[in-house]
Parts: sequence; structure tokens; C-alpha cells
Amino acid sequence: MVGALLRRVAAVRGALWGGRRNQEAEVETEVKNAEPALACPPPRSRRYVPPKNLSHLLKAHVQALVGPALAADWQQTPLRELGLRYHLLAQLAAELGHTVPNSQLHQMRTAQDVLDFYSTPVKDASKFDELCAAKLPPNLKITWEY
Amino acid sequence: MIRVGLNFGLRLRGGAAARALSMSSGQTGPLGTSTTPASLVNVAAQAEKPPPVILETPILRECPIAIPAHRTPVQAWVESLRHYDDQPVGLADLHPDVFAVMPRVDILHTVAIWQKNFKRISYAKVKTRAEVRGGGKKPWKQKGSGRARHGSIRSPLWRGGGVVHGPRGPTSYYYMLPMKVRVSGLKVALTTKLMQDNLHIVDNLELPTPDSQYLANLAQYRRWGQSVLIVDVNEMPENITRAVAGLKSITLVPGLGLNVHSMLKHETLVLTLDTVAFLEEKLLWHDVRYTALYPFRLPYCDFP
Repeated sequence: MVGALLRRVAAVRGALWGGRRNQEAEVETEVKNAEPALACPPPRSRRYVPPKNLSHLLKAHVQALVGPALAADWQQTPLRELGLRYHLLAQLAAELGHTVPNSQLHQMRTAQDVLDFYSTPVKDASKFDELCAAKLPPNLKITWEY
Repeated sequence: MIRVGLNFGLRLRGGAAARALSMSSGQTGPLGTSTTPASLVNVAAQAEKPPPVILETPILRECPIAIPAHRTPVQAWVESLRHYDDQPVGLADLHPDVFAVMPRVDILHTVAIWQKNFKRISYAKVKTRAEVRGGGKKPWKQKGSGRARHGSIRSPLWRGGGVVHGPRGPTSYYYMLPMKVRVSGLKVALTTKLMQDNLHIVDNLELPTPDSQYLANLAQYRRWGQSVLIVDVNEMPENITRAVAGLKSITLVPGLGLNVHSMLKHETLVLTLDTVAFLEEKLLWHDVRYTALYPFRLPYCDFP
């Protein structure tokens, strides 16, 4: 309804001021209608603090995926199959909010490696990186790598 | 690069909103929930963000080409461009002889410099004393005038005279590195991108809108960097071609257009699964081929 009102106002204005302004108003209304479905979520922080019950959580996941027949040294269970790797690592990433990066995926060979990775805390980026990730005006570009 | 983050204060809360977004984006496959016991799930974390959506049938790509026994494959997440969140859609095995070779920086340098120089033709040319107009007559007699002796007014000593050792004519800097060096350069570049967390694999290039702003926001949200190089082998969907046409920092190239200079110039590399298969097949063939008895542009029975 608001969109229809806006379009009528734009049509009136277009009739007064010419064709170009009319097209601009129409584009604005179209963009606004598409925005709610594809709004960009706010930037997330890279900080990661390992939870205290990490070992229990990991053991529960491994048990759920491997089955009840879990050896006493569950930390040495090899993660060979792609399906097992995907489910374990994707579940942990979704719950803890910290994904294993591509460069370290091949190093996750046993559950112990996964435990070590998720036990290391990740400090938030420096002030410069925060500034880079924050909302900047569109004509400002900062290159901090020099 | 457009750095505006579209923040309208809309946050997706609850599983319904997340599932609606992913369903409207056209994601196929049954959506499954995690199978952990409820007591161990962090309830506080669930209240802040929507519950995780993990596929029950993820895309698991095995390497079709045989891997040597002494090496293990490297892996990468398979992501999707249909939504902002980089929830992985699957896991892909990558051949170690393409994506985990020795990081030879000297090969990268050689190939990058070759790419820059082999097309160069410098058109600079200056006239020598023989080509400059005039200067055939001796300006004054040899002895008696009191001035220095000269034979021509266009000698290099004179103002307006010819240049002695200047650039002579169009010069070509063409040279070809051996094919295996160029292939190795591509392999080293792909390895470098993967090991520096700059490589992302995507199942296909389908976008929900042809809006450039969506793609720019997605690249910024996923922290891909300032410039993105997207490579695809199949015909590209219309949405992504229109979205990339409006952006200067994101480039879309076909599979044959992948080269070391572009990979070094762009910060992030995005490959589709078909592109990965194509690259592995083409690049690994050179490790097992016989030497060329005739040029490769003529037909071979086993040319990939």
C-alpha cells in the first residue's frame, strides 16, 4: 500500500518534472521492495572463546555419528570418510560459530586434532581490521596492508 | 569496491525465518537438524542466532583421478551463493598434486613475468645520424676557421643530431616458457590460494537476484577481501553475469581464462565444482604424458 502511494506520488512528480525523475523513483521503490528479503546481516566478529564443556560436546557428537561402539580412546578415532567429516565439522561450526578454514581441513585427521583446533581461542581483529569491517562511507577505502 | 553494509535493523530470528530464506533461495535437498542431545546444546547461543541448518545429503565430492598412495587429499568446504551466510553445503576432496604442491615462489614469479612480457612489443624508435634529415655536407673547412672540426651537422655531438644507441624499431619481447613450467605455475598458484584461505569452492553460481549490491555485500560479509575472481566452466547464469557487470572488484572468467597473474591480482578465488574437475583433469595430464612429437593443436587420442 505504501508502495502504491509512493508510485502514485512518483507518477505525479514525473508528469511535472519529466521522464527521468519518474524512472528514478520507480527504481527506488523496486529496490526497497526487494530489500527485506535480502537484507545483509551485520558483520560478525572473528572472536572465538572455547566453551568449558568442549571435550564433552565433541565426545557427544562423535558418539552420535560413529555409533555406540566407541573405543575408550575416542580421541584417536580417524576421520577418513567425507560424510563423517562433514557432519562432525559442520555441526561444530554451526554450534560454536567457528569454522575450520580450508587450509586446515586436511590437518583434521583425528578427533584429537579437532579438539586442539577448537581449544585455541581466536583473538578479535586489531582496531584497524575492526575499522575495515565497520560501516564506512562508500567512497572511503582503507588499505592497511602496507 | 563498494563498502556499504546494508543494515536495516532486520535480523533473522528463529528457525522459520532462516528456513524461509533458504527455501526461497531455491536450495534443494531435505533439511536436517543436528542430532546432539538437547542437554549439551548451548541454549544461550541458540537464543541469539537461528538454529543450525545442516543438510542430511551434503555434496561430498571425491577425487575422480587416482591419488598416489603416499599422499592424502586436501579438502575444502563447498559453499553456496544463494544466501549471505556461508553455511557449507558439502565437502570436496582436492587432488594433492594440484592443490598441495611445493610452494615455489620462483615459479610463480617466472610465470607472472612471462605473462607480462611475452605479449610486449615496444614501438620506440629513434633516428641515427644517418636517418636524420640533412647532414651530408661538411659544415666548414677542416683547417683555418678556428672552430672545432666537424664532418656533419647531424652527428651525435650536435644538437638535433642522431642518437647513438637508442631504441631501434619495434622490438619483440616474445619468449615461451616450457609448457610444464606454466602448468606448474598454475598448480603453485592454486596451492597458494588454498593454503592462505583465499580459495572458496561453490556448487554453482546461482544468485537469487541480479543485484550487484547483493554480491558485493556477500563478499564483504564473508570477508573474502577486496577483489574476487570467479571461475566457471559451464555457461554462466544470467543473474551473476548481470551482477558482476556492475562491479569493478569482482571478475568472472571462463575456465580457460584462469592464469597466474589474475590469481595473484585478485585476493580471493572462487571455483565451482565443475571447474575443479576440469582443472584437475587438465593439469594432471601433464605429469603423465609423453613428450610431444607434434604440436598439441593437432589431434591426439588422449588429449583431455
